[in-house]
Amino acid sequence: MSAGYELALFAGALAASALGGVLGMASGIFIVPILTLFAGVDFHTAVAASIVSVIACSCAGAASYLDARLTNVRLAIVLEVATTLGALTGVFLSGLVPTQALFLIFAVILAVSGWQMLGRRRDEAAPVDRPGRWRGVDGQYPGKGGEAIAYQVDGLSLGAGLMYGAGLISALLGIGSGVLKIPAMDTALKLPIKVSSATSNFMIGVTAAASGAAYLLRGDIVPGIAAPITLGSVLGAILGAKLLMAVPSERLRLLFVTVLAIPALQMGLAAFGVNIMRGVR
Amino acid sequence: MNARAEGVLERRLARALNAGTWIGSGVVAVGLLMSLWSRAGAPVELAGVAIFILLPVTRVALMMATFARHRERLFALLAALVLLIIIGGTAVSVITHALT
Repeated sequence: MSAGYELALFAGALAASALGGVLGMASGIFIVPILTLFAGVDFHTAVAASIVSVIACSCAGAASYLDARLTNVRLAIVLEVATTLGALTGVFLSGLVPTQALFLIFAVILAVSGWQMLGRRRDEAAPVDRPGRWRGVDGQYPGKGGEAIAYQVDGLSLGAGLMYGAGLISALLGIGSGVLKIPAMDTALKLPIKVSSATSNFMIGVTAAASGAAYLLRGDIVPGIAAPITLGSVLGAILGAKLLMAVPSERLRLLFVTVLAIPALQMGLAAFGVNIMRGVR
Repeated sequence: MNARAEGVLERRLARALNAGTWIGSGVVAVGLLMSLWSRAGAPVELAGVAIFILLPVTRVALMMATFARHRERLFALLAALVLLIIIGGTAVSVITHALT
């Protein structure tokens, strides 16, 4: 790998992670298209490199969420049983699903993510405290005045099922699966939005590590590609977290939908052998 | 565990993840620089990547130890289960990959 190529990968990862950080997503959803469509990397290698980026972003961002006391670590552990099982299923499937299908699935995920972004995340009505509901993962988070706001968690079976799927998609496509996790946590589990974001960010690291370890030991991680991407991702995640606070994300919603629509279209075309950058294969 | 112990756990996790992120980044950076003029850079880069992969796993192990110490048996067992899935599943997938 030439130094110029690695510098380009570094810059691309930095931009992708910063953008992901501002959007509240991980970076994988931008990194895989960049690698496969622009850098000429094959899908499988791109997924393996992107998974490392997802871990890097998660680790770089986790500290501030933890300090803010938003993360529900007990709920995370419960759900991680589901996501890690899903991730390993995904690793297993990654050798079986044809690349063209993966491009198409990726395009669909991008489109759905964009569509979800158009909707507003709203704090759902608190779950009714039905008899027999397990209280083990109920929690609290600091409100604006520093007071502790308690919340209840319900719908664990549905949530766990969605998390299994999220882990599977994550391992298969090299992404953070926010597209499944956010609705799972906001809607199925009825978590307050801030808790949902913090806990989701916390969990994605473990989900990605489950598949990352397998990819590493199978030799799927190419050092010349993964190294600059990892470094770019750490810096990008830190930058994105700072930008998140400075920029009003409401206003940028439409811009981000566009940013997701373009790779969605390109990945969809790639599924049918058309690469805009290099012509029809 | 009470709220204070929980706060301690969260701070410990935050510090561990922070430290690990910088150490991992450092190793990857060293490897990357080395790779510009030597082939020995590649394994160093991979070592850095391995550090990142181990960070979330270490985080789960820390949680397991803390839950155990505070006698929260269910969560300690769940954390152990997550570790088992990751380690066992990785081993299985590597073996099946090597066999095909």
